[in-house]
Amino acid sequence: MKMSVHAPPRWAERFLERLLPARARQVVVGDLREEYLESMLPRRGRLRADLWFIRQVASFVPQFSREVSPMGKILLWFSWFTLVCTCWLALMEMLLRHPGFELRALLAIGVAAICMATIVVRMLHVAMRTERWLWLGAALLIGVGGEAFLHSATADHFEGFAVVISVVLLVQGILMLITLGQPAKGSPRPLETTLG
Amino acid sequence: MAELLGTFEQSVLLSIFGLRDEAYGRAILNHVQELLQRNVSAGAVYATLERLEARGLVLSRLAEGSPARGGRARRYYTVAGEGERALSETQKALTAIWKDVQLPIQEGL
Repeated sequence: MKMSVHAPPRWAERFLERLLPARARQVVVGDLREEYLESMLPRRGRLRADLWFIRQVASFVPQFSREVSPMGKILLWFSWFTLVCTCWLALMEMLLRHPGFELRALLAIGVAAICMATIVVRMLHVAMRTERWLWLGAALLIGVGGEAFLHSATADHFEGFAVVISVVLLVQGILMLITLGQPAKGSPRPLETTLG
Repeated sequence: MAELLGTFEQSVLLSIFGLRDEAYGRAILNHVQELLQRNVSAGAVYATLERLEARGLVLSRLAEGSPARGGRARRYYTVAGEGERALSETQKALTAIWKDVQLPIQEGL
């Protein structure tokens, strides 16, 4: 009989490995894996053990996020805010299906993708090559934010929500331009390669 | 006088004391949960360990990992002399603060 091999969610492990400094990477992932296999999985079953593992991984995000610059931290908060707003807008557009909803939904998804990319790049410090795409993203955010702001300011009916979103997009785009040249990563502690 | 330790830092240091030679991340996490009688996130424990080590209150060494860990190393912790002093001073300070207090706290105290 073939035995199924259980392991923590691979994507969560990889995320944690990217998040942690080199010094803690092996140790922390090993500890969590050991607890998952020897304690959580036998006691709680696969689903609850997986949820436990994901929750533990999430607990490292505020503790070990590599973002160090104050402006980068503000950018991260703005990105999370815009991500939630644009996901909500895209969902509403697709549900309500008012005329021209395709373009608006696509735009919202595009902005959400930029926010997601910003979060990943700033928090996990992925390759600089990815950051180059964020220059285009920043330009798009400023363009969309500026257009939305002008449209809201000159509209017959003042919509506070639209103004807030447009200002957030503008500030976020500017912050992206400022922080793109700055490293997101703090000075890592020396990598230990020997045991003992 | 050294800076007093927070409740969580005390729990982590006391867990390392209690676990003696078995004080590595996973065991410390479980021990802290027992001490505090609540669920504690791994991120909070490891961040505290990093901070305590940076302050010279704990020492650590790496050891080889078991197959369950996929061969990943374990980091064992011990309380440094500075850590013992910090714990001792914190205990003294807390005892002094609470010395004349009777619970439930009376009005006008």
